Amino acid sequence: MSKQYLSRGSADNAHIIDIFSLAITDKQILSTSGASSIKVHSTTDADFPLLQSIDGAHTIGCHHIVTNGNGSRAITAGFDGEVKVWSCQDGHWAADAKLTADLSGADAWAIALSEDGQYLAGVTQEGRINVWDLATDGTRIRDHETKGSFGTCIDLSPDGRLIASGHEDGAVYIFTTETGRMPFSLSGLVNPVRAVAFSPKSRILAAAGDSKVIVLYDTSSGEQIANLSGHSAWILSLSWSDTGEYLLSSSFDGKVKVWSMETKTCVATHSETDKAVWSAKWLPKIGKTEGFATAGANRSIAFYREATG
Amino acid sequence: MAMAEPSTIHTLEIDDGRDPSVQEFIDNTLAALIHGLSQSPTEANLSITLKRRASPTACIINPISGALEASPRVETYRKYSWPGKTAHEAWKFTVILRILAILDQAIRTGQLISKRDIYYIDPEFFRVQCTVDRIVDDLAYTIGVNRTALNVEAAAKGLVVGEFRLIRGSHILIDAQSVTEDSLIPRIEDGDEIDVSRHQYAKSLSAGSLPPVGANKFPHQSTSRRRNYGHGKLGVYFSMFRRRNEQPNSTLKQGKGYPDFMTRTFLRAMSDSIPNQSRRPPSFYVLTDGDPHGMAIMSTYKYCSAAHLHQNARLSMPRLQWLGLRVTDIIAVPEVLGDTALLSLTIRDRKKIMAMLRNSPVWASDGPEPEWRAELQRMLVLNMKAEIEILYGCQGGLEGWINRRMFRQE
Repeated sequence: MSKQYLSRGSADNAHIIDIFSLAITDKQILSTSGASSIKVHSTTDADFPLLQSIDGAHTIGCHHIVTNGNGSRAITAGFDGEVKVWSCQDGHWAADAKLTADLSGADAWAIALSEDGQYLAGVTQEGRINVWDLATDGTRIRDHETKGSFGTCIDLSPDGRLIASGHEDGAVYIFTTETGRMPFSLSGLVNPVRAVAFSPKSRILAAAGDSKVIVLYDTSSGEQIANLSGHSAWILSLSWSDTGEYLLSSSFDGKVKVWSMETKTCVATHSETDKAVWSAKWLPKIGKTEGFATAGANRSIAFYREATG
Repeated sequence: MAMAEPSTIHTLEIDDGRDPSVQEFIDNTLAALIHGLSQSPTEANLSITLKRRASPTACIINPISGALEASPRVETYRKYSWPGKTAHEAWKFTVILRILAILDQAIRTGQLISKRDIYYIDPEFFRVQCTVDRIVDDLAYTIGVNRTALNVEAAAKGLVVGEFRLIRGSHILIDAQSVTEDSLIPRIEDGDEIDVSRHQYAKSLSAGSLPPVGANKFPHQSTSRRRNYGHGKLGVYFSMFRRRNEQPNSTLKQGKGYPDFMTRTFLRAMSDSIPNQSRRPPSFYVLTDGDPHGMAIMSTYKYCSAAHLHQNARLSMPRLQWLGLRVTDIIAVPEVLGDTALLSLTIRDRKKIMAMLRNSPVWASDGPEPEWRAELQRMLVLNMKAEIEILYGCQGGLEGWINRRMFRQE
């Protein structure tokens, strides 16, 4: 069974350099790139207008942006090594100077923000995993060591119980937030991992990367549930739909795939570009229809909606 | 560096007078090891002993000449055994054995190789360049010969290959007609003109390492003194397309590291001279490693360096185009090249990239080279770099890749 997603337009040349990361709130999409600004586009208007450009956010570019569940807070990690905090009021974003100062010196390459926006998790280039509590002036409350391989990606489970990280040596780690222990060791991948993502109910962890397959793990046992193969290039990003029925993946050759969790098969493939899609994210449902956004080396943000009827 | 006189051009000669002691040493060493293997493990003595060069602390200032010399009585011997006492010693032993085999092949085939070439045959194995440097030097010292007797050549600087004429005033100062022989880049004076109107396929090498073992060959090398180019870091490739869809007539310049003043002066003179000789503006391409140093070298060719601000206007190459090597070139066609051939960035690489992005206007977000900036950032995101050596494995080798890429850019 295949599904159809139709192109619903795009924010063309939203950035002048590769868009490396996307983050979603209920009405907006935030994007960061190799240029210095953060761009905020509306996802509710048909032509996806630019709402705000935070210029000079990271002078030498920004590779990660994450938001909390209600879209009141965003965190960015820049190529300069700085982690910055942003807050949103009435749809307008401004720098959170206090929390940014609290987090100065925080070492993180990939980052993840808890659903409520209180906890920031980050993994360093040396593979160290840290958690900061933003409710207590950005105190570091966890510090886990791994084997030292570059930490390319990290995610916090929606229920707040688990942290997962993916590494250049193919390792995938899971820690429980409460004890800071590893409940089990995962089998990992052969080649660098580039994306890890927990399902909405936190029961499944998806991991993917240069091995070109997506591995699904049961988060209660650590067992592999499935291998999703079909991509022919490195997989760069993963995103779960709200219901957990579908998983979205993007790859280096510009392909974007939607996978059904029911059948564990690919139900849709899009290839609007032949350039790397660094980030792909599901958008909030509008009515009953689901949609997603993609961005990468072609510098535009493309929007898709499920074909209905 | 031996520099050519302004009016002459030297070809590098391969010394064919081989020193028999080298082959003897290699043969004896290998024979002893094979003999050791045939013995019982308890009796076997699998080891290689090298005479070590004096460390700097064991040097003296010669009271007569005033030069730094090795103190005569501090020769030390170091025995490397297999399997040895530690994993490190075992590895060291295999490194020596591996280098001996490489040198043996280089000597037998009459090819010159540089220390850097040896390192790049297997960077993961050798780990760092200085391991190779040290063993090669110790081997030469042990045998009692000069390094060149091992067919290990120091990388010469500023070489050019191809057909060109250097015209000074009304004289033809240099008439380089060979497309197979490299020569030192000549010194350029104000008003010199470089005529490349008749050249077919020319290349210039700067600091190019000489023939490596097992590298690909460029065409037009059918002489008995066959040489391989293209190992080591490549600098600039120039190409002039006289007509579309014609085999590119290119001048290639191969460099190791940052271009020196003479090299840049020569290239700039060529760039300035060509428009007078050809209706179509020529193309200038640069090919460097896809790593921060390669990108910085490219920037030095095009924009020059902060160290020579007062000369940069006379040395820059504004028309220089980026041929590669991009990390994405390798990832995009993994079947051909093997995306596992990419190397991880080191912490130093990452710091270097960050410093480049932060400090130089060339890489600024509103700067002249957004693609260059993006490439550096992609390296950081992927944590990977691509070295030109990867291209030897692709269809048609390095030359095939260059030709395909030039046509595509055209």
